[in-house]
Amino acid sequence: MNAEQPRKPGWLSDRLGWGGIAASLERHRAPRRGFVFYLGGITLFLLLLQVLSGVLLVLYYKPDAANAHASLERIVGEIPYGDLVRGVHAWSSEFFIAFLLAHLFTVVLRRSYRSPQELSWLSGLVALFIGVGLAFTGTILPWSQKAYAQARVGSEIAHNVPFLGNWLYRLLRGGTEVTSNTLSNAYGFHVAVLPATLTLIVGFHLFFLSRKPAAISEPADDDDDAEASKASSATEADTIPLYPDFLLRQAVVWVGVLVAVMTLAIFADRPLGAPADPRLSSTGAMPPWYFLPFHQIVRSSPRELLGIDGPKFIVGATCLLGLLVVVLPFLDRKGSKLVAWAGWLVLFVLILLATSALS
Amino acid sequence: MRSPSQKLFALVAGVFVAAVAMSPARAVGPEGAAAASASIAPGPSASASASASGSASENPAAWGPQGRVLPPAMDATNSCVACHITLTDQKLRAPAKEFLTSVHSDDRIGCAGCHHGDPRDPTVGAHKAVGFDPHPTHAEVPDMCAACHSNASFMRTINSRLPIGEPELYRLSLHGKLTAAGDDQAPNCATCHGKHDILGPSSPKSPVNRANIATLCSGCHSDGKRMAKYGLRTDQFSRWEKSVHGKAFKTGNPKAPTCIGCHGAHAATPPEASSVGHACGRCHEEELAYFEMGPHSKGFRKRGLAECVACHSNHDVQPASSLMVGTTADATCMKCHSKDDKPRKIADELADLLRGARGRAAEARAMLARAREDGLHIAGAPYALDQIATAELKLRGVVHTLDPARLQAPVAAVDKAVDEAKRLVDDAARTRRLERHGYYAALGISCVLFLSLALKSFQLDRRRRDRS
Repeated sequence: MNAEQPRKPGWLSDRLGWGGIAASLERHRAPRRGFVFYLGGITLFLLLLQVLSGVLLVLYYKPDAANAHASLERIVGEIPYGDLVRGVHAWSSEFFIAFLLAHLFTVVLRRSYRSPQELSWLSGLVALFIGVGLAFTGTILPWSQKAYAQARVGSEIAHNVPFLGNWLYRLLRGGTEVTSNTLSNAYGFHVAVLPATLTLIVGFHLFFLSRKPAAISEPADDDDDAEASKASSATEADTIPLYPDFLLRQAVVWVGVLVAVMTLAIFADRPLGAPADPRLSSTGAMPPWYFLPFHQIVRSSPRELLGIDGPKFIVGATCLLGLLVVVLPFLDRKGSKLVAWAGWLVLFVLILLATSALS
Repeated sequence: MRSPSQKLFALVAGVFVAAVAMSPARAVGPEGAAAASASIAPGPSASASASASGSASENPAAWGPQGRVLPPAMDATNSCVACHITLTDQKLRAPAKEFLTSVHSDDRIGCAGCHHGDPRDPTVGAHKAVGFDPHPTHAEVPDMCAACHSNASFMRTINSRLPIGEPELYRLSLHGKLTAAGDDQAPNCATCHGKHDILGPSSPKSPVNRANIATLCSGCHSDGKRMAKYGLRTDQFSRWEKSVHGKAFKTGNPKAPTCIGCHGAHAATPPEASSVGHACGRCHEEELAYFEMGPHSKGFRKRGLAECVACHSNHDVQPASSLMVGTTADATCMKCHSKDDKPRKIADELADLLRGARGRAAEARAMLARAREDGLHIAGAPYALDQIATAELKLRGVVHTLDPARLQAPVAAVDKAVDEAKRLVDDAARTRRLERHGYYAALGISCVLFLSLALKSFQLDRRRRDRS
């Protein structure tokens, strides 16, 4: 695009005032290199993909224990393109969590949470929490034997959360047992409460980002502020305009992700499994991969730790660690390298736990 | 230590209580008396009670429904249980204890309903009332039960849904006849239903509950010593257990027959060669009707062969199979017709039609199952399966006419249902194929979009680099 020869504005861009928008976008600059700067955008795209495919699924899904599994069988086996839509929804949810976590870890490792990014960090964490909630409620909806087991085990683990445990447990189950109420609760949260909240939070997240243009161009590899400013001033060659360059690249990555998700949806079968039967035992059921580290640590925890019930201790400690992560920008104002090391350690431990859960 | 005045008071009180308790006509109050006289049950006086002498309410000799006074409310007047439950002699205490758990303790029967005596008398005097019968004999028991259970107007006052007249049916049975003839080994009512602890048949604990009935019958009928006297076999239960009926019963099929399904309960009578078709036909109505249209019906009757049993056996009846028909060595037809030319020809024709249609039906069923395994959800599949099953059922009935011409129509019905099922599977598979093409097209478009965007991005990069 040649800026020297201004193009005659089109009919639509004239009416949209696109010239102004483009001009303001062009002022922002983004890093020339580094895949990490695309992670947030990919997560956003996956969210959009899930909303679109989810809306289509809602048209045929029946949220009660008697019909849920059969309605999914119908979606997969009878409704035109239902198989593809369900596959895209399911696979993009896996990708969504994966990219969300990758986004989080790269932010920690690059210490991009620092001032003045506290609000982006906090809204991002809320989005992660809601995202995991969406994934968990989503796994219950097929009401297969596996879904049933996950509803049981998941709510059982939530029971150990300090202070809120009992309330969470009853909320997740819609009572004291896993019944049709559990399913309708999960459905309500999955299609209404959580997506609406997430949309709001993502809106805030993007808004905070736009308030701080340097956010994504933050190289931040050094502790020294002077050096950092020198680095950022010397980046004219290392950056590209946000529009159109960066956004075009982002679009390329998005379509690439779409191709990957669709390929998996078409060629990698995700069997529905047998319908839920409360009479069958749900022992040995495996949670989704992103719960594996947690599953393993709760499973292998001793019955009692320091006089407290084992799982309660573990879950409580995890919640405490979570709180620590929330206040990270306030604890680590300057961006200590220790945090990055701790981030690598946590990542390593999580992967270790997940692999030990699988073996 | 008691003072003399306390002793005197105790003495006076004791005498007073004894006097009240032992007075023959206990003061029950006007309501009690009215209720007692109001509950004289109507009906013929079949029992050998002393009802001839004056009004029943004056004569406490006979308690029970037939011209007898019923206790108005058992808890108020059934002093038998109140006393017997406190006794230490188990022989005397057990009946009272058992009675309290029985279905009769819920109603207005009381002990006197069967044993007579005077339940209003809380002393041993109750046993001296006219007609008191502590130990009815084996043969007397059916009469005792019949006093209520064959009295329609009385039974209606207990529960309008209770069946009436089983004792009369029992008297028609072989069991009843033997008991009446003085055979103590033959069962009376109490043998199956229990004595004092009788429960309704819907109670799972009742020996006559559907779940327990086969075990109950086999208790005597599998006992070699007991059956030797009557010259009866003892393998019925073990054969039934292995039969299609016994296996269905074990899986909880509510329609699977136990012993009483074929033999009757109270009127238990072994079906004979001439009547066995009707025993089977109670459930297998259609098969019986078609059988009666065919040549075997008359032929069997002439030769005294048992209708259904001749081919299917009785207690150990196995699932019917199309292999029973035909001229192979195992075929049932060959048991009698190995040398008859015309029946052999018919058997072959029948076998071809039957096996052909059932084979095609099995194939269609397998096709639908495979489609389901492949993830094809066919909305009409359950209906198509139903259609096939219905057509096959008809075919299985009509084959009893042993007429190949009659078999044509149900075979055509099976084929029609099979074709419909195949059409459904084909349609679904075709739609799936088209859908797959759509998938690939969408994937292709996405790839093209990806490449063109990537190209555009490279172009942009290069242009900027060239400019700088």
